[in-house]
Amino acid sequence: MDLISLYPTWYEPMVGSGWVVALIATFHVLASHTSVGAALLFAYLSHKAYREDREDLLDFIKKYGLFLLVFTYVAGSITGPGIWYSTTVASPNGIGALIHSFVWKWATEWVFFVIEVVGVYMIVYLVGRVDKQTHMKISVIFGIASLATMVIIVGILSFMMVPGKEIWFEEGGYLNGFYGTNTFIQLGMRMAFMFTITAVVGGIVVAGIKDPEFKKEMARKLGWLGIISTLIGAALLQWYLTSVPDQALLVMENRLPEYFVPSIVAVLAGTLAYFIITMLRPQTLVQGFAGFMSVAILVAGLWPEETARESMRKPWVAGQYVYSNQVIGRDVPGMDIKSQLPIIEKVGILKAHPFTPEHLREVNDGNMIQAGEFIAMTYCSNCHSPSETGIRPLHRYFPDGVTQERMEKYVKGVLTTGNIAYMPKMPMLDSEVKALSAYLVMNNNSGPEATKVAIKQEVEARNRALAEKQAQDKVATLDLAQEVK
Amino acid sequence: MDASQVSQVTEMMYALRNPAGVPTYPIIFIGLGVLTFALHILFVQLMLGTSAITLYGAFNSNPYWRRLGAAMLEIAKVSVSVAIVVGVAPLLFVQVVYDPHWYTSNVLSANWVIGFIIILILAYWAMYYFYFVNGKNQDKTVQPTSRWAMILSLVLMLVVGFIMHSLTSQILHPELWKEWYIQNGVLDYSGSALHAYNPWRFAFFISLAVPVAGGMLVTYRRFKMVREDADHDYLNWAAEVGKKWIKAGSVISTVLYVAWMMTLPETAGDFATSFWGIAGGIAVIFYAVWAQLRLKGEANFCSYMALPMALVVGLVVAISREMLRYGILNDFFHYDFMDYKVVMDWYSTGLFFLTFAIVGGSVLAYFLTIAWKTGQTVGVYTPSAAVNKMGTIAIWIMIIWMIQFFVVGFYIWAK
Repeated sequence: MDLISLYPTWYEPMVGSGWVVALIATFHVLASHTSVGAALLFAYLSHKAYREDREDLLDFIKKYGLFLLVFTYVAGSITGPGIWYSTTVASPNGIGALIHSFVWKWATEWVFFVIEVVGVYMIVYLVGRVDKQTHMKISVIFGIASLATMVIIVGILSFMMVPGKEIWFEEGGYLNGFYGTNTFIQLGMRMAFMFTITAVVGGIVVAGIKDPEFKKEMARKLGWLGIISTLIGAALLQWYLTSVPDQALLVMENRLPEYFVPSIVAVLAGTLAYFIITMLRPQTLVQGFAGFMSVAILVAGLWPEETARESMRKPWVAGQYVYSNQVIGRDVPGMDIKSQLPIIEKVGILKAHPFTPEHLREVNDGNMIQAGEFIAMTYCSNCHSPSETGIRPLHRYFPDGVTQERMEKYVKGVLTTGNIAYMPKMPMLDSEVKALSAYLVMNNNSGPEATKVAIKQEVEARNRALAEKQAQDKVATLDLAQEVK
Repeated sequence: MDASQVSQVTEMMYALRNPAGVPTYPIIFIGLGVLTFALHILFVQLMLGTSAITLYGAFNSNPYWRRLGAAMLEIAKVSVSVAIVVGVAPLLFVQVVYDPHWYTSNVLSANWVIGFIIILILAYWAMYYFYFVNGKNQDKTVQPTSRWAMILSLVLMLVVGFIMHSLTSQILHPELWKEWYIQNGVLDYSGSALHAYNPWRFAFFISLAVPVAGGMLVTYRRFKMVREDADHDYLNWAAEVGKKWIKAGSVISTVLYVAWMMTLPETAGDFATSFWGIAGGIAVIFYAVWAQLRLKGEANFCSYMALPMALVVGLVVAISREMLRYGILNDFFHYDFMDYKVVMDWYSTGLFFLTFAIVGGSVLAYFLTIAWKTGQTVGVYTPSAAVNKMGTIAIWIMIIWMIQFFVVGFYIWAK
């Protein structure tokens, strides 16, 4: 049998599986970047506390550390593997590609992760229990370990957009996949952003400082940190855009929502204004203001940035060889990976998919809509939800009353040939084109509920036919038995 | 199942393998997976057991139980963190060699997989809420408030445990995956159901929280007894409770283990009576025997061995668990993880082991020395010159690691 590595599909009709991943990832980015930035800040402050023999700085570390422990380390350490979980169910071959190329890199990150988790408890709970020099040493180790987790993961994230070096496709090799222009620029950009968010979230703790002079000092420190890192981050973002594939820029120009650029510009300007205000007038720094800014960055900055990164990779989801619909769409000789498109072209997607139920392997009049739904779920639902809401709903792309003939023309002429730059090539047999078109037309013109009913009717009709056939077989067997007697 | 059905399942599992292969010999991932699972489950059991003690203390009027409950809450919240962070490793390794099974199992129960993340965060926050509400009380014999938060935390932890148990159980039933995907003739894309579970297996792993928590109590007494301000009556009482928990808990767990072995699926063949099937149960009951023989009187050395012994027991159980998986998937379904395509990558393989041994070893040795000594010191702990040197060496090792990362990176980039 010609089977390819396709898993069952998880379809979430309300928001779509893609958005579920994006929601968890965005939250994790906020938590993890804050944690890493704070770890480096703690290393600096603890060093300063040791050199200048200052208790107030250690007290600040304890307060900020405890706050982070509960809100970012707990949530961050769970949403980190949570990204694995969510991508596992939404994009198993995408995460599989990363895991199988970079398992040791993740395992190495895990060593630093363990150090980080033990370290954060020590930094918080050993303030006043160990001498300042020891606390400083723990903080420095903690800071480097946190940074190490970031430098490692950025290489893997870069691979999602594009393998480090083009030669990876021909020669393979972890190093060629991991290191590249995109890796280093993205690392710089993320580090800058990390300090920005650290300065903003740190404001929540600074707001609670009672001593006006110390509050002023910390507000200024965080303000300068935030301003410099925001400006560097904005510059690096421009540089980063020169390191992504042309295809990604094309998608960015054509497919990103209109609010993307204004949103990023507004959040940059707002962040700078926030830092300037809190530096000039530290008394304006209250917990509500800092908390609001953290949420604003999350909603108006991180969310568009993460979703843009997800969109720009299209039609790929990992390494420019795994399509967003999980099919491997390109040969990678260096890893002895073969494109799965020829197999699908030969036997069709229904026979190539290991989880196609027996009764759907061949399209016929009795299973047309259900087979079409299966194809749509496999090929389309990762990026286009067949529901009213969710990720880029399918109904937005077709006019009301679209005909079967027109839909077939579109599916055959555009989808099976891969004529849209940011969409995968989706080979189908003619019968499968017909089934997918029938499903899309019904879903578009009559809605998801009517489509469900139609599938139910197909199933009932098949069950009836099966029951009748079994009854006839039984009668035939009885007749035969009587004749024998 | 007839041979042709088995062969279809085998073919499906092989088709689902990731074509990128694995960067070193698959047995290494299995070995690391077993080792890290044993560590992970130890902390899971520690977290559950100490949470249960906290809860029991919160509802008990005995001042010793209340003090113990407050002390164990400190262990519980750290254990949750460690259980999560250590749990990342077996989660990583299982999807390297058993990706067809892990991914299918997850997708078929996707809503629960996503729910796992949210429920675990809520469970942890509920525990912290209880801690913050009651942590300020200097007098640890006062009845804690907001006890609902601790109950909620423990219940939610058990829920996430059950989700993980079910996902792991589903791996063992590749013959049912397609059936689970299609309900009454209609494809089920919702991922809303947990399809497989074995209550005895789940109860067995959870029940081990009792002897592990017992081991913690014995260690607790030994660790705290050297402090100048130690309350020996209270600590001795805690250790006696711990010894009882180890013995009674191990017996209960052994009974549950036997029940698990008696309810294995047919595809497991005669695993229950095989060497590893029996070894798992023997290891658990051995913990009770060991406690009876070695934890008499002061037991100054063996008290410190109570948790390492629990780890050894857990390791044997983890091997048995892995052998069961191998037995079902290889012996019955002919899926052998050992023949996964290897695309050898020496650099990343070597870097991990060196980082694990040198960076992890040096830093954790320093961290744990500091934590240990501080816990036994009243007031501020100032390390000796030797311990200080350990810290300096650890910092330099971290710096060297970071330098090699960028040196290698820039070299590859410029090449």
